[in-house]
This record gives sequence, C-alpha cells and structure tokens, in this order.
Amino acid sequence: MKRTTLWIAILAAFTSGSHAAGDSLDELSLEDLVKTDITSVARKSQSLADVPAAAFVITAEDIRRSGARALPDVLRMAPGIQVAQIDNGRYAVTARSFNGRFATKLQVLVDGRSLYHSLFGGVMWELDPIPLEDIERIEIIRGAGAVMWGANAVNGVINIISKHTRNQTGTAVTVSGGTKGTADFYARTGQSVSDNTSWKLSAQARHIEPSRQYLNSADSVDRLDNAVIDFRLDHDLGAGRDLSVWASASRSKTTELWNTQPDFSQGGLNVSAITPNQVLNSESLVGRYRWLGDTGIESSIQASLTRSGIEIDNFVTETLTTVDLDYQGRYAVDRHDILWGLNHRSASDEISTNEPYIAFTRRSATQRDTGLFIHDDWTLIPDKLKLGAGIRVATTTANGTNVSTNATLLWTPSRSDSLWLKYAQAPRTSARAERDVSILAGASVVQTAIPFPPFTANIPVVTYVNASGGLSPEKSQGLELGYRKQLSTAISADINVYRYRYTDLRSGRQTWMFGCHPMFALSSIPVDAAKCAYFGIPIGTPVLFNEMQTTNGLAAWNDGIELSADWLVTPGWRLQLSYSWSHLKVDHDSNATIDADGKIMERASPRHQASLRSQWNITPSQQFDLWLRGASGMDRLNLVDTVPSATGAPTFTRIPGYITMDLRYAYRVNKDMEFALIGRNLIGRHRLEYLSDYIPTAATEIAPAWLLTTHWRF
Amino acid sequence: MPTRILLRLAARITFATTLAFTIPASFGEVTTEAQLKAAYLVNFLKYVEFPGTRTVVNLCLFGRDSLGPYLAGYEGRQVGGRELRIRKVSSPEQIADCQELFIPDTEEARLTAVLRWVDKQPILTVSDADTFTREGGGIALVRAEGRLQFEVNVEALTRAGLRASPQMLRLARPMAGAAR
Repeated sequence: MKRTTLWIAILAAFTSGSHAAGDSLDELSLEDLVKTDITSVARKSQSLADVPAAAFVITAEDIRRSGARALPDVLRMAPGIQVAQIDNGRYAVTARSFNGRFATKLQVLVDGRSLYHSLFGGVMWELDPIPLEDIERIEIIRGAGAVMWGANAVNGVINIISKHTRNQTGTAVTVSGGTKGTADFYARTGQSVSDNTSWKLSAQARHIEPSRQYLNSADSVDRLDNAVIDFRLDHDLGAGRDLSVWASASRSKTTELWNTQPDFSQGGLNVSAITPNQVLNSESLVGRYRWLGDTGIESSIQASLTRSGIEIDNFVTETLTTVDLDYQGRYAVDRHDILWGLNHRSASDEISTNEPYIAFTRRSATQRDTGLFIHDDWTLIPDKLKLGAGIRVATTTANGTNVSTNATLLWTPSRSDSLWLKYAQAPRTSARAERDVSILAGASVVQTAIPFPPFTANIPVVTYVNASGGLSPEKSQGLELGYRKQLSTAISADINVYRYRYTDLRSGRQTWMFGCHPMFALSSIPVDAAKCAYFGIPIGTPVLFNEMQTTNGLAAWNDGIELSADWLVTPGWRLQLSYSWSHLKVDHDSNATIDADGKIMERASPRHQASLRSQWNITPSQQFDLWLRGASGMDRLNLVDTVPSATGAPTFTRIPGYITMDLRYAYRVNKDMEFALIGRNLIGRHRLEYLSDYIPTAATEIAPAWLLTTHWRF
Repeated sequence: MPTRILLRLAARITFATTLAFTIPASFGEVTTEAQLKAAYLVNFLKYVEFPGTRTVVNLCLFGRDSLGPYLAGYEGRQVGGRELRIRKVSSPEQIADCQELFIPDTEEARLTAVLRWVDKQPILTVSDADTFTREGGGIALVRAEGRLQFEVNVEALTRAGLRASPQMLRLARPMAGAAR
C-alpha cells in the first residue's frame, strides 16, 4: 500500500513539474530556423525514450569529453554499471552487483559480435576490442535481456556500435602523452570509393608504465602495451540490401604480481610471490548482409570467426576458435512489430596448464550453443499502451535446453512521460572454467596449539578447488518498474527500481580435507599420500588441504534503484547526473562453507554509486569538462593471507568508498586540429578501487594522472 | 522481512526523486537541437502542398523517437489551416494515414525498409540521418556550420505527389551527392 501511495506522489511531482516544450520557437519561420545557431552541447538524442527497460546511451561526444582512455572507464557514466580498476589494464565490470574480474552476468557486443569469452563466461577488459574513437554510441540496457541477447545477458547488455565508414573518410591522427609514462596513439584513414562503397582502417596503441603497489608504494609490474587494428567496409547494394565486413586484431601485453603477503616457507611448502607475464590476443572477421524482402520482412545475417589466445607464463596457455552465425528478422505489420532470430555459436579451445597450480579435466573441448527467439511489440492503444512479450529457447552442450521469457508494458500517458513495467527471466549457462578447472584458490595459516610437546604450530591451509564436472545454469527472474520524464525542453530524468531473485548461484562447497602429516590423524584428518605427492609436498610436512568444489548452492535477492538526469542549463552547459543503489541479500545456507561464500558475495559490491558530469562550451573553440564520480566502500576477500591467525577464517580487505574527479580542457585551433589537457583521478592521491578475485593480484594504487592530447584531421 | 525491504526501497526512491527535483523545472529557455528539429517538422507542413483537402494533418514519429516531448506543445494547433496531430508509428499499416513521417537517425538501419513502406504515397519523409536524401528520403536535417539545415530531394517529393514551395527550396541546402 505504502508503495502505491508513494508512486502516486512521485507521479504528481513529475506532472506538476511538466510544462509544454518549445514555446519560444513556436512562431519562427523556416527562414529563421535555418539561421538559428546551435550552440548546444547535446548533439544526439541521449535517451531511448521508447524502450521498456532501464536503458542508457553513451554518445561519441560523451566518450571524447570524458577523457577516458579505456572502454571500462567510459562505462562508469552509466547508472547501474559498476566499474572498478584493478591495475593499468585490468578491470572488474558488472551491472547491478556480482562484480568480479571474471564477472559472468554481463553480455558485451561490438557491432553484434559478442566479446563474451566462453572459457569463463566474461570479458577480458585488458584487451581493447575497438579504438574508442571509432565508437558511434554505446547502448546499455540493464536487467535481464536473455530473450534478445542470449542466455547470458543476466544483469545487462552493453551494445557497442561503431561508426559507419562513410562518416570516417579522410585521415585523422591522435597522439597523447602524459604522466605515469602514458603514451597513446590513434590513426585512421578512410575513403568513399563510390556513392555506395566506403572503408576505413584504424589503429590504436596504448602504453602505460607500471603503477605503484597500494600497500608499500613500490613499483608494481603492470606495464601495459595494447594495440588494436580495425578495418571496416560498407557496401550499399541498393533496394534495402547492404553488406558490411569487419576485420580486427588486438593484442595486450602486461605482467601481474601474484602476491602472498608475506612470503611463507615452512618445511616442504613455499608460498611466495610470482610475476607471470600475460599476453592476450584476438583476431576476428565478421560479415553482415542485410536485405529487405518483397513482403516487407527486414532480415540480417551475420557470421563471425574469432580466434583468440590467452598466455600466462607458467600458468595457462589457451587458444580459442569461435564461430558465430546469427540471423534476425523483423516484420512490422498492423499493430505488431515482430522480431525473431536464430543463432548458433561453436567455441573450440585447446588448453595447456601448469599442474598442480591449475588443471583442466579436458585439454580441448567444443561448446555449442543454439538459440531461437521470437519477440513481439504489440501496440494495444496507439500512442498510449504497448505490450511486449518474447521467448527464447536455447540449447547448450553443457546445460541442455533452457527457456527465457520476458514481458513488458509501456504506458505513455503523455508525450513527455512514460512508465514501464518489465518481467524477465534469464539463465546463465555454466562456463567451461567453472566445470572443468581445478585450481589452487587460496591459502591461510592457522595457529594451532599442539598439546604434546606443548607448542604453537603454524599450519598452512591450502584451498584447492576441484573440477565440478556438471553445473546447472544459474537462474534469475525479476520485476522492474521505470519512469521517464521530459521535465522541460532542457531537463529529462529517468528512474527505475528492480527486484530480482537468483537461484542456483555458483558457490564453493567443501568436499573434504586432508593433511600431509600423520599428526593430523589426531584430529581425524586423513593423510592423502597420492595427493600430497601430486602437489609435490613430502609426507611429514604440516600442511592441510581444504578441498572445494563448485556447486549451485546459493540463492539471493537483488534490489536496486537507478536514476539519471540530464540538464542543459544553458545552451553551452550541460549537467548529467546518475546515481544507483544496489543491495544484494544472499540467503542463509545451513552448509557453513556455502554460507560463508554467500557472505563474501554480499560484501563484495558497493552499495552506492554516483556520477556527475559537466560539459561546458566556454567558447566555440574551447571546452571545459568536469566529471565527479564515486562509489561507497566494499570488502574484498584476501585470497592468500599468510599471516597466522587463530581460526584461519577468511579475512577481508576494506576497499574504502571514494570520490574522485576528472577534468578536460580542450582548445580547437581550427576545424581540423584540437589540443586537450586531461586530468584523471585527481582527488585521492593514494586510492584503491578493487582487489582481484580468483587471482591474488597485488593491489595497485589508482593515482592522479595528466595527459596532453592532440587531434589532427586532414 | 519483505516489508522492511519495501520500506527501505521506498526511502531510496524518495531520496532519488528529491534529488531529481532539486533541479528547477523552470529552466526551459534553452534552445536544444531537438527543439529545432521539432520546429522544422512543424514548419515543413506549411511549405509542402499535399494532394486533396483535409482538416487534420498527421505528423508521425517512427520507432525509437525522442522528439515526442518537444512536439507536444504543437499538438492540436492549426498549421496551414489544418489541425496538427502527432502520432507514434511502427508498421506500414499505421503509416498510411500520415502526411509527414519522421525517422530518427537511431533507426538508420531501417531507413530503406520504411522508405519502401511509404513508396509513392503522399507522405513527406524527414530524417536527421545525414544520408537520408541520398537514400531516397524526402528531407534530411543536417548539422552544418554550427546550424541545423535541411536538404530537399525534389525527385522523391515529386514521386510522392508532393510539391515543395519555391520559398522552401530557396532556403534548402544543396543536396550532397546525386539522388538515386
């Protein structure tokens, strides 16, 4: 009841603030209109006003004016998207909690090609998928989108749309250099060969010198060398047919410090820091053909081939070949707008690992996913009420057949406001790494009193996760309610609430414990000679192994609110605000290990997050942009904690909440040349944003940095 | 337990909306590009001659449109002696009754499909996609030299049985590239 009253109050507030748009322009003639200067900062439409979902658009202008150099940093402006930088190249990115370096619930597409790595079901953010300057816009849709975007679009979809080549003709070069040993380079050339054919070729390279470790300010090892080459060809065949081809190759080279804090050595066991080099590469070829049938059916078929590799010294080497085939059709008839599609993905990998640190059950495997969906947008009352419903049936090698559904209702009581309700469910199919990997997952040291002879022993406890074999898909379903309002010609606001239920969430479960010393038999812990030998530990070494297995053990509620507002204060000054609050509540479980996992998950994401961007055109040739952003604190699990403790219970590192600021001042010399001075992370000299999961990466400091960039076009 | 969550959610909503409404709604004087586009759409109706006589003129917005709020103020007004109505459309059947059809550039992928729906019907098509007139559309709104200008594809208008006034053609920007 209370909620209803509240919503009415909110609606009333919105309505009272509403007033008709466009009073001053009313009486202008065509002659006056062509003479009106546009000085406004907002170039393109920002909202997806007609979408019954929590949607946000980042334009090319927003990207440029953000000063960001890497894709994840750009995504920080969207409400509900949680971005945390781990080191120079690595990021944890998610939508609506469950963040992780290998976060699994976010689908990311570049021109329809999924960046989702089928090995672990996430995105390797250190690899630049596309030069930032080639992006036309990024459409972000939070919430379950499995019907349209596939079984793993659980918490959101990020759609990156690249610029059409006819808008990228000529040559452009951007060169940047700055503190922290930062050097960026971007070059592009493009041509319209004829009225219907154009192409572009671009290349981007980024280099950053190592950052400092958070704990001791010593240099870390995260020197980053990234490069990406991107080619696109567009050919218009007329009569509604067109052909596009993309070819891209990217590479990322960096090193990582796997920390132990402090090194631990006792008997036959040594736990010490290592610094493996990491090389990632990806090459892809994509072709898309769109045509218009005589009956009015719009069709598109896209095929892509991607080869990628992960190479981490003395740890894992993987190559993956992915083939994607995707057909989509659309037919708008009468009051229906019907969309359907069929897709097939086949991913074959080959993996070699350094045992016993990491092992895969199968050296090579092929995963196949096939999906079929249909969705209809049905206009119940023209201009007022629209009903949407869709279903996807998908079959995967690992998880059999899964069904996802959604239903939406979009009510537009007036031209300037819309209210939407959405129900959606989405499964997340298990990733190969979750089923097949066995890995050393952590270590702690327990202080134990030995009764005879009486002394205190430090017993290292190593956590080892065994391959689970089978794992069911994680399931989610939820409700969302949203409201959008154009308050005046210059102000718009968007607010939504959601509540999702997750079941069969992945968690760890203790399977058994063994030791490598006969004395543990006193506490009824057996000695497993074969396994101790596998780990290279001589019998007689006081080491305990805590064996775990991945299981579908957890269930949770995820609630949240997201808000964004856009205000053109003056023609040359625009403010954009976004705020999100999210709350993850994991169910209690009677199994202590599973329950502890739930607690770790709950504490691992920030509750509040906010961003305020100001874009100011001082003069037609000068811009000044400011971005204030922040997030509240969170607790991250210490994977390897070798400081002896009484219980060996998990310890956490508090990531404090933060507020920081980015600045950008740009001066346009003429229409072809621009200089910009960019400052990033200017508030907080010694700041930590994240602590890696799965891999005990040493925490690195996110420090202020300055960058000077020049852009030429000729 | 759920009640508590709901209450807490409610508190958050209140906080968030309060935040949104500390922004004064009276700041409405800024001319945005969207507003200009809306003004153009209304103005074109005065300068284009449609066959037949009617008392109502329908301005239709196709697909993921974002101009709706900016056109709301014009709804119901008399434009060239006819009452202006604004409608949202998404299928060929809904388009049949439109006099003017706006296709936003976010629907660029569907331009050709929509142009085929309106083929040879007396409908004035307008878009803010740069290449619209080259694709066979009627009028393109293009950003040039810091102003919003328009290109007219006379051939497309003639095919649709429409006539643009000489005054309008005089103000139009020369079309980039040849019409197909």
